[in-house]
Amino acid sequence: MSTVAPSEAARKGPVNWALLLPWLAAIVFLAVMPLIFASNSALTIMNQMAITIVFALAYNMLLGQGGMLSFGHAVYMGLGGFFCVHLMGYVENYEWQIPTPILPIFGGLFGLIFAIVIGLFSTRRAGTVFAMISLGVGELVAACSLIVVAFFGGEEGVSGDRTMGPTVFGFDFAQKIEVYYLTAIWLVISALAMFFFSRTPVGRLANAVRDNPERAEFVGYSARFVRYYSFCASGFFAGIAGGLFAINFEILTEENLNLVTSGSVLLVTFLGGIGFFVGPIIGAIVFTLLQTVMSLYTDIWQLYLGGLFVLTVMFFPRGLAGLLFMHWRPHQLGKLGTLVVPYARMFVPGAVMILGFAGFLETAFHARHAAQGNEVMKLFKFEFLQYDSHSALPWILFVAMMVAGAYGCRRLAPGLKAAWDEANTARSA
Amino acid sequence: MPAAIELKGVTKNFGMAEIIRGVDLAIPQGERHAIIGPNGAGKSTLFNLVTGKYELTSGEIRLNGETISGLQPFEINRRGLSRSFQITNIFHNMTVFENVRCGLLWSMGYKYSFWTPVNTQKKLRARAEELLEQINLADRRNVVAGVLTYAEQRALEIAITIAGGASVIMLDEPTAGMSRSETSAMVDLIRTVTEGKTLVVVEHDLGVVFDLADKISVLVYGEIIESGLPDAVRASDRVQEAYLGTTHEIEH
Repeated sequence: MSTVAPSEAARKGPVNWALLLPWLAAIVFLAVMPLIFASNSALTIMNQMAITIVFALAYNMLLGQGGMLSFGHAVYMGLGGFFCVHLMGYVENYEWQIPTPILPIFGGLFGLIFAIVIGLFSTRRAGTVFAMISLGVGELVAACSLIVVAFFGGEEGVSGDRTMGPTVFGFDFAQKIEVYYLTAIWLVISALAMFFFSRTPVGRLANAVRDNPERAEFVGYSARFVRYYSFCASGFFAGIAGGLFAINFEILTEENLNLVTSGSVLLVTFLGGIGFFVGPIIGAIVFTLLQTVMSLYTDIWQLYLGGLFVLTVMFFPRGLAGLLFMHWRPHQLGKLGTLVVPYARMFVPGAVMILGFAGFLETAFHARHAAQGNEVMKLFKFEFLQYDSHSALPWILFVAMMVAGAYGCRRLAPGLKAAWDEANTARSA
Repeated sequence: MPAAIELKGVTKNFGMAEIIRGVDLAIPQGERHAIIGPNGAGKSTLFNLVTGKYELTSGEIRLNGETISGLQPFEINRRGLSRSFQITNIFHNMTVFENVRCGLLWSMGYKYSFWTPVNTQKKLRARAEELLEQINLADRRNVVAGVLTYAEQRALEIAITIAGGASVIMLDEPTAGMSRSETSAMVDLIRTVTEGKTLVVVEHDLGVVFDLADKISVLVYGEIIESGLPDAVRASDRVQEAYLGTTHEIEH
């Protein structure tokens, strides 16, 4: 069994396929997705996803690459977005000749300018000091957004019209699909640029400073300057995400730069896994899907999302990407197949337990919050799951499911662990 | 030629406590100089003063004739002084190869470049490979540094320390916590990689000190009580008394 990593083996050829293939696959994937999911709502979800990916990747330049925990990164995305909406307004009112597709770059530059200014003092220290400053700045800008009405539009925000710009190759971006491809192209460009950045001297040193700032200083680099560079780059790409948001939704409000948005990008990034470049991408996809799909079926989706986040942090601190990459070794050993059955077996009691828990929460929520007299609930809005949330039977059923599921999980856990250990051991051993 | 490192009346107080109490020391170019002394004598503090981690209370430090007191660690490093640490100080989450490469970047002129892809730089790569060969970690190049054995991590730290091509190398207890065979391998490594450079080493293992050093300074309670050739230091009654509290012969 060869132990050489694929990137190592591939590096010897003229073209590094191991590096190139995932990107090509991603481009093809982005190109064909709207052919499969052509509805307007699907396009909206995918656009939202793409924007979240850019934002989360930018955020991970700080958190994962640079070891800087920010609680206020929505500021740079929001400011970039607001700036772009204003530009759209100028295009509409004063006939400025700025084609819509290049708007995000201005969003990026605006994010960059603010990062240059704020980074000057916030990146002096990493750790708690940086986190607190980011929180303070986040709160400050969010407060400003309600005070400086001229720029932020107060509570109703600022809106624009993306179709007013000069057409590009005949596209005026009135169609959702045009916006999709515009966003997809920007996604690829930004992701490539951020990936490239991580492989430059400053990008490498960002990792070094994250691991050990003192050592980094003794190889000739100012830890503070390295942090500053990462911070500015991150602000730039967050601004691009803001520009894309502006093009997609044509409105920005205080919500786009408040602490809730800052918190959710942290959640997205951590959920996906901060130690991997693809982590934030996976996180953004899962998060957006859960957000959009779950919110169709339940009013308390945020509760589930929070639960998922807590479970991830507790049991899989390397995130979903970490969970995926854990399977690299079994794959190398050719034993991935041996895990299918134990996983499937574990899935049954696991699903029963989770559904029981969710059912319990839904019923409790309905019993407590539904209007007087409205006692019949539809679980997850399904017609065939109608019952009275005040009767005892569903409660008993859900508790029984939880208990039975938990019992089953407990019984199967040692078997799963044994199978996992076995799958990670070389055959000869 | 100016001394590689020159300390003039260096003092350091932490609050009311005087840790370094007027140290004068000149280490000429190319010398291997060891600083020894009992625990709490201020050896590591002296190191941290020279390398810019702490600020001086008074006095002056010169590197190759140029004043470096008051400069930041990275500025001192760029002027040709590099150090290792008492507690292993490497980039734990990066591979062995990347650790060494990070040590090379500044000196090879990459500075804060965010447009050069590091993986395609042939010279950089070759130099990093060369250093890995030198510390016998070439076959561990793709391993995350945090999982190396203790001795391997110490060797890696030496490689990072010398990578930048500094003319003055300062090592803080390079063999602490090592077995006898690991220690002798480390001493050989240090001797090879510091060939032609100025070496300042703080060390507890007197065997290593007498094996490696051209000259020895003895630091006791923040003052240098003796400085000279190993034999002279070993023979000195003051050293014996201060260092061991007795007048027994220092073990070789």
